[in-house]
Amino acid sequence: SLSSNICLETILCCQLLTSHSFIYDAGKLLVLLRDGRKLMGTLRSFDQFANAVLEGACERVIVGDLYCDIPLGLYVIRGENVVLIGELDLEREELPPHMTHVSVAEIRRAQKAEREATDLKGTMRKRMEFLDLE
Amino acid sequence: MFFSYFKDLVGREVTVELKNDLAIRGTLHSVDQYLNIKLENTRVVDQDKYPHMLSVRNCFIRGSVVRYVQLPPDGVDIELLHDATRREARGG
Repeated sequence: SLSSNICLETILCCQLLTSHSFIYDAGKLLVLLRDGRKLMGTLRSFDQFANAVLEGACERVIVGDLYCDIPLGLYVIRGENVVLIGELDLEREELPPHMTHVSVAEIRRAQKAEREATDLKGTMRKRMEFLDLE
Repeated sequence: MFFSYFKDLVGREVTVELKNDLAIRGTLHSVDQYLNIKLENTRVVDQDKYPHMLSVRNCFIRGSVVRYVQLPPDGVDIELLHDATRREARGG
C-alpha cells in the first residue's frame, strides 16, 4: 500500500543518514587500521563501507615513548581495514607530554629493535615450550 | 533486531571492546544497519597503553571490528530482549 511504501522510504533515508552522515567537520581525524597503523588527516570522503579519502595524511608511528609523523599525502582507504575513526580534539594534547618526537630514521631503528625483541621473545618461548612447565 | 535494540540505547553509557583488545567507554550517539557505532565523550580503558587516543573524544567504530558492547546492568530489559529474540526466531 502507499503508506507502507512511504514508511519504508523514510526508514531507508534514516539509515542512510546515520551511516553516510559523518558529522565531523574538516577537523583532523585519527584513523586506526586493522594492521595497527595510525593515520591522521582531513576526511574528504566517506561511504557506508567506511571507505575513506584522507587528505594530507600522515602515519603516526609510536615506539615506546618515541613517535614520528611520516607524511603520506592523499590516501584512499578501503573500509574493511578501518577499525576506528576518531575526532582529535584540538584543545587537548594529542599525546602524553613525556613522549618525544624523533626523526624517521630514528623511529625506523626503534621499530626494528622492537620487532627483534618480540621475535627473540617468541623464539625463547618456543624453546621453553618443550619443558611443559605450565 | 539488534539495530532497533541499540537505537533504544542511544544516550546510554556503554563500553565497546574491539577485536584488537582496545576498549572505549562513551555515550552511544548513534548506530546504523551495519551496527557501526558512534560514541561521544569517549575515554579509553587502559589509556596508558594507547597514547595516540589521548585527545579523541568522539569516534566512529566500524561494526565489523566490535567484539563486545558492554551495557549498564540496568540498561537491559532482559525479558524484552528474550521476547524479541523469540519473535525473530519464529518469524525467520
